[in-house]
Amino acid sequence: MAGLSTKAIKTRIKSMQSTRQITKAMELVAASKLRSAQAKAISSRPYFQTLYAAMDEIADTNNDFTSPYLHANPNGKPAYVVIAGDRGLAGGYNNNILKLAYSQMEEGAAVLPIGKKAVEYFKRKNVTVITESYAEAASVSIGDCYTIAKMLADGFLDGSFGKLTLGYTNFVSMLSQTPSTLDLLPLRVSTEKRPSQNTILYEPGSEAVFNAIVPEYLGGVLYGALCESTASEQAARRTAMDSATKNADEIIDDLNLRYNRARQGAITQEITEIVAGAEQS
Amino acid sequence: MSSFHLQIVTPDGLFYDGQAESLNLRAAQGGLTILPRHTNFVTTVGMGPAKVVLDGNARTAACIGGMLSVINGEVRLIATTFEWAEDIDRERAKSALERAEAKLADASLSKEEHRLAESAKRRAQVRLSIPQA
Repeated sequence: MAGLSTKAIKTRIKSMQSTRQITKAMELVAASKLRSAQAKAISSRPYFQTLYAAMDEIADTNNDFTSPYLHANPNGKPAYVVIAGDRGLAGGYNNNILKLAYSQMEEGAAVLPIGKKAVEYFKRKNVTVITESYAEAASVSIGDCYTIAKMLADGFLDGSFGKLTLGYTNFVSMLSQTPSTLDLLPLRVSTEKRPSQNTILYEPGSEAVFNAIVPEYLGGVLYGALCESTASEQAARRTAMDSATKNADEIIDDLNLRYNRARQGAITQEITEIVAGAEQS
Repeated sequence: MSSFHLQIVTPDGLFYDGQAESLNLRAAQGGLTILPRHTNFVTTVGMGPAKVVLDGNARTAACIGGMLSVINGEVRLIATTFEWAEDIDRERAKSALERAEAKLADASLSKEEHRLAESAKRRAQVRLSIPQA
């Protein structure tokens, strides 16, 4: 590149600058979206955790195994809900969660993708897609989460789904997001033998309670996971765009240096030529 | 007086985390009160007022849907909607009630629409039934 003319360098600086403008703008947009997403993720966390803890305790204490939600359906397809983003340029965010979910998928699995990238990915991999109605992760509301949960719970009850797993990205901090999977159905059952005085009293009955609670639980977990994933996406994009902006800055600095050198070189050359010309005459 | 640990959460966040002497709410099968040393218990929550008592002071709230679990003395109320009496937007509830009633008056509703309007009406009624704090 040393031989590039000043004009060529100038063009490269211009193009670099416009790239930098775009990445900077994306970073700012992601940062402002991140603020609201993070607040949402943090305020939904107690719900997510309490719900999970309560279900965990119920599993530990329960010794009423009549509910169909406690048993896997051997004939049903394993179903997966995978939450990814709508857009790329978010570092490894989409790729990490999609790869993780795909690597854990069993043969003949069906998937309910949330987010455009997830829909595209699973279609390309020829995985059965349950529905594409939730292609836009940004527009999925809490009501939608409960609708999805109801649909999946019904599918589990009628035997079309054998088990249910959720893939999402955990928002650990601004700089760290970890993709993870969570087994939702069948509900975990503790195999430990317990004294019978610890039985849980279900009102009006275990069957009715489980039937009412499980869709609610799934919806709650789904909503929590969605909040976490959205926050993760924005954080990942912000970090990626921040480093892209920094890279662009570096390249622009470098090109500026080259440009100045080339300009100076040209001037020096011109002077040398003039001086040489003057001496000859 | 003896108390128990109570947590009240909804998707909007944590509403209560601390000791309580009693919790009164409307479960699927009718009103019930949880007192300390309650047996392990799980039920679904209906729509209605909820009352938390601590040090003899009662706080009321509108509580709609969800589940209640009492496991080894830990009480968790995981509601779909939970609003303390002072946080209820009465104007909004009133207009929601009017809208739902107007919708129910329309005979051409599908079953699903009817169900939605009916539950919207119930929610508004529950909110309005809570005495102002």
